[in-house]
Amino acid sequence: MTEFKLPELGENIDQGDLVRLMVSLGASVTEGQPVMELETDKAVVEVPSSVTGTVKEIRVKEGQKVKVGQVIFTVENGAGAKVKAVEPQAGAAKTPAETPAPVPKAAAQPATKARPAAASPAPPAPVAAGATDFRLPELGENIDQGDLVRLMISPGSKVSEGQPVMELETDKAVVEVPSSVTGTVKEIQVKEGQKVKVGQVIFTLEGAASAQPEKVKHAPVEHISEQHEARLSLQAAIQAEGKTPAQVFLPDQPRPSAPKAFAMPEQLGKVAGTEHRAPAPAAPHVRRLAREIGVDIYDVKGTGPGGRISEDDVKACAKSLLTSVAAAAQSAQGRPFAQPALPDFTKFGKVERVSMRGVRRKTAHHLWEAWTTIPHVTQQDKADITELEQLRARFAPKAQEAGGKMTVTAIGLKVCASALKVFPQFNASIDMAKEEILYKQYINIGVAVDTDRGLLVPVLHDVDKKNIVELAAELTQLSKKARDKKLTPSEMEGGTFTITNLGGVGGTGFSPIVNFPEVAILGLSRSSMEPVWMNGKFEPRQVLPLSLSYDHRLIDGADAARFLRWIAEAFEQPFLLSVQG
Amino acid sequence: MTETSNLHVAVVGGGPGGYAAAFLAADLGLKVTLIDPEANPGGVCLYRGCIPSKALLHVAKLIDESRHAKNWGIEYADPKIDMSRLRSWKDGVVKKLTGGLGILSKQRKVEYIQGRAAFENSNTLRISKAGGSDENLTFDRIILATGSRPAIIPSLKLDSPRVMDSTSALDLSEIPGTLLVIGGGYIGLELGTVYAALGSKVSVVEMLTGLLPGADRDLVLPLHKRIEKSFNSILLNTTVAAMKEESTGIRVTFDGPEVKEREKVFDKVLVSVGRKPNSEIPGLDKTQVQVGPRGFIQVNKQLQTNDPAIYAIGDAVGEPMLAHKASHEGRTAVEAIAGHKVAFEPAAIPAVVFTDPEIAWCGLTETQAQKENREIKVAKFPWAASGRAMTLDRTEGMTKLILDPQTERVLGVGIVGAGAGELIAEGVLAVEMAALAKDIALTIHPHPTLSETVMEAAEVFFGTSTDIYRPKKS
Repeated sequence: MTEFKLPELGENIDQGDLVRLMVSLGASVTEGQPVMELETDKAVVEVPSSVTGTVKEIRVKEGQKVKVGQVIFTVENGAGAKVKAVEPQAGAAKTPAETPAPVPKAAAQPATKARPAAASPAPPAPVAAGATDFRLPELGENIDQGDLVRLMISPGSKVSEGQPVMELETDKAVVEVPSSVTGTVKEIQVKEGQKVKVGQVIFTLEGAASAQPEKVKHAPVEHISEQHEARLSLQAAIQAEGKTPAQVFLPDQPRPSAPKAFAMPEQLGKVAGTEHRAPAPAAPHVRRLAREIGVDIYDVKGTGPGGRISEDDVKACAKSLLTSVAAAAQSAQGRPFAQPALPDFTKFGKVERVSMRGVRRKTAHHLWEAWTTIPHVTQQDKADITELEQLRARFAPKAQEAGGKMTVTAIGLKVCASALKVFPQFNASIDMAKEEILYKQYINIGVAVDTDRGLLVPVLHDVDKKNIVELAAELTQLSKKARDKKLTPSEMEGGTFTITNLGGVGGTGFSPIVNFPEVAILGLSRSSMEPVWMNGKFEPRQVLPLSLSYDHRLIDGADAARFLRWIAEAFEQPFLLSVQG
Repeated sequence: MTETSNLHVAVVGGGPGGYAAAFLAADLGLKVTLIDPEANPGGVCLYRGCIPSKALLHVAKLIDESRHAKNWGIEYADPKIDMSRLRSWKDGVVKKLTGGLGILSKQRKVEYIQGRAAFENSNTLRISKAGGSDENLTFDRIILATGSRPAIIPSLKLDSPRVMDSTSALDLSEIPGTLLVIGGGYIGLELGTVYAALGSKVSVVEMLTGLLPGADRDLVLPLHKRIEKSFNSILLNTTVAAMKEESTGIRVTFDGPEVKEREKVFDKVLVSVGRKPNSEIPGLDKTQVQVGPRGFIQVNKQLQTNDPAIYAIGDAVGEPMLAHKASHEGRTAVEAIAGHKVAFEPAAIPAVVFTDPEIAWCGLTETQAQKENREIKVAKFPWAASGRAMTLDRTEGMTKLILDPQTERVLGVGIVGAGAGELIAEGVLAVEMAALAKDIALTIHPHPTLSETVMEAAEVFFGTSTDIYRPKKS
């Protein structure tokens, strides 16, 4: 018998949520065959098997968090199977305790039926039979919500476990979310276009009555005081008489009714779990105030004598909670996103308010961050690409053969890669905290792609090591993926420089914003025929406008001018590339 | 928040928890129906608990003091007790109070139904009215305030007028020559005190090693010493093995290591072995309400049961079974129903034993701190050093503060002595307000009063008490 364990998935990825299992008991798997879909905080990945044989036992469930090294399934007839040498981690098979869903301080989420609101950690996404509703499962670390792009079910439709029921757009990727429940959809509680949070009810199932009652409930507790002792002594007496309390007292049987799942609002559940806390040093009305504004009095630091908590302490705590919550919400997405209050536009006419969707939201935050962090300067230049255009036409069929398109951008990739080698400060990042410059020993160039979802920047890796035809093919492929929403987050990571080409649209120049933490970006505008003074006369030449925005903290104006001139010349004389690049 | 202004709330049980809940609900503008078998609200507390027992204890204290007056140079003849007048005075107190509650509920437009309620479902009650008719009524929320009743030990159950529980003991049908009180808790000791003052020879039997289990021993000691004199005997570490009715009384068989007299005949026996929650409400199984193993209805801190439409308060939901806890819970439940963010989370629930001397405590006790292995500092002021106690000739009392050693915050207060029940209120306020020992020490208390002992106890903590020289422990 051979075990298949979750292999290493990449740096800093030590676990993921099992989105879909593609094998079942008794199925035969071969090495390399995809066996599961795992959602890490970076992307949804298909994990191929490293073993061959018949699946004997599956040790994980969909919706569960799976750690690297954890056993996924075991196979028999493992002959010839190559077991990947993954060190079994101590206790790795133990699912880590789910991080409790963030408890909103105020009752941000209305209580919903069947929501166990015990103070115990939130249980994992409900599993199959017992569940009466389907909630958005955890999608990965730091992803706590998404925009519902498409619902694939309607009331009355049947769903089964594993069936994709919705498309959700998170900050970067669109993911299909499979159901973790089986049954008939009764009521759908979300709408397309709406923001959906992890743990939010997506739909409820019919026939909930047959569902098993949830075990975990709010934890009502008896109030026991020191006078409890008196009762205990009575019971002791009864026992001393050789009887059980049951014989003595008429039994108070818990009612045999099978209670339907019932939920306390989160707050109550929280309160119920904190039964035995010593009283907080605060006057009753201060404690009441804390309750009213949703502050746990035990979180408040009292500034009065003996740590006594005043009204002001509670308010200060609430304030700092609010700011830290807001800051946390923003730091998850970027920097504080403060802006002056908006005027009431409706005074001037009709206004439609639309919530920012995933990519737009991310773009907004990211560009704000880049713009407020980087002192930008844009350098303009022009490249005579008359000769290049001839070459391009000549090599176009070759690129076509390789499945690509010989575009100015593709050539630009190569040009920039060569330039970055000559000017390494353009292939760097700044660590202001440590006051250090990080020179990258690799050249990965991102290309801005305009899609109907917004701006996406797939990254081509090791551009300096690839020829133009290869780059053209890769770029074509990535652009298509971006437009088809197939781009994974990992395909958008690791860039050291960015090219953005608006030539397809038009314009004679623009100021691109540096893609932080990179330090420079090259903008290409539409090339056009211009009269160029050559050899004593004006000649019609095809001229490409170049706009280089750079981080002035690291790059001096003269260097930028030199860098851009180098690029322009490389465009003008492609031969330079092979000589200097 | 759901619309709460139009809710119709039913309160089942008209005790201090139930009527407090009903009245507040009415004050908050909810529609309220209060259901209780009695003609007026009041419950055990008013009809057969706190109030009648305190009326009788007042009489007992008077008799006792008149006897005591000999020491002060005033001698009275033995009192002549007119039982029927005593009874009617006591009943008059009860009637006045409960009648007043009836008027208050009318003034608040609370619909009062005399009858008993059973559940049809989570929102519907079948009410069997006192007049004999039945009616099904539906409510948005139901508050169960069904209270408790005296516990009985079935093996000792004896259907005889000679065996009383607290209810029948308060009826005061006669003064027995000898009375055995089974159970050394507060009910047994309070009623024992009444009967002793009225002339009965009272014995009390407690199976644990001390009276008032749960209370700090140093608080119990002065009481123990005093009732050793007023009672005939105190049998500790002793259980009642059997009771048999004979023509002359009840023959009781005792069991325990310290038993000298295995059998004894008593004219009457009072069984006061605690109270049992009234959670056997008919039809409760048609709701989602859950009842715990000890018979308490399970609730969360909003007093809400497992059934979202049903709340429960008072004795029915847990210890301590005290009227003032029930009223506070009742009000909390109503506020929760009205949509307020509230929780029953008191820092201190005072407990008072109305014996003579009285014992009262609140917040943390020494016993509890020991059990929890919690570090505390205790500051005690013996009443022997109190001028007021001296003028009352009641110097056996003691006031103590339980303090947090780091912050010097008052965590608990314990008092034994005449009027301790009134004095404890300051302790409750101190604990609730998170007062420091210094706050109490610096608060001017009126002289000469027993309340000074609270201030002096705080001074003792700092080693600066005026009336005690006790250098501060370094």
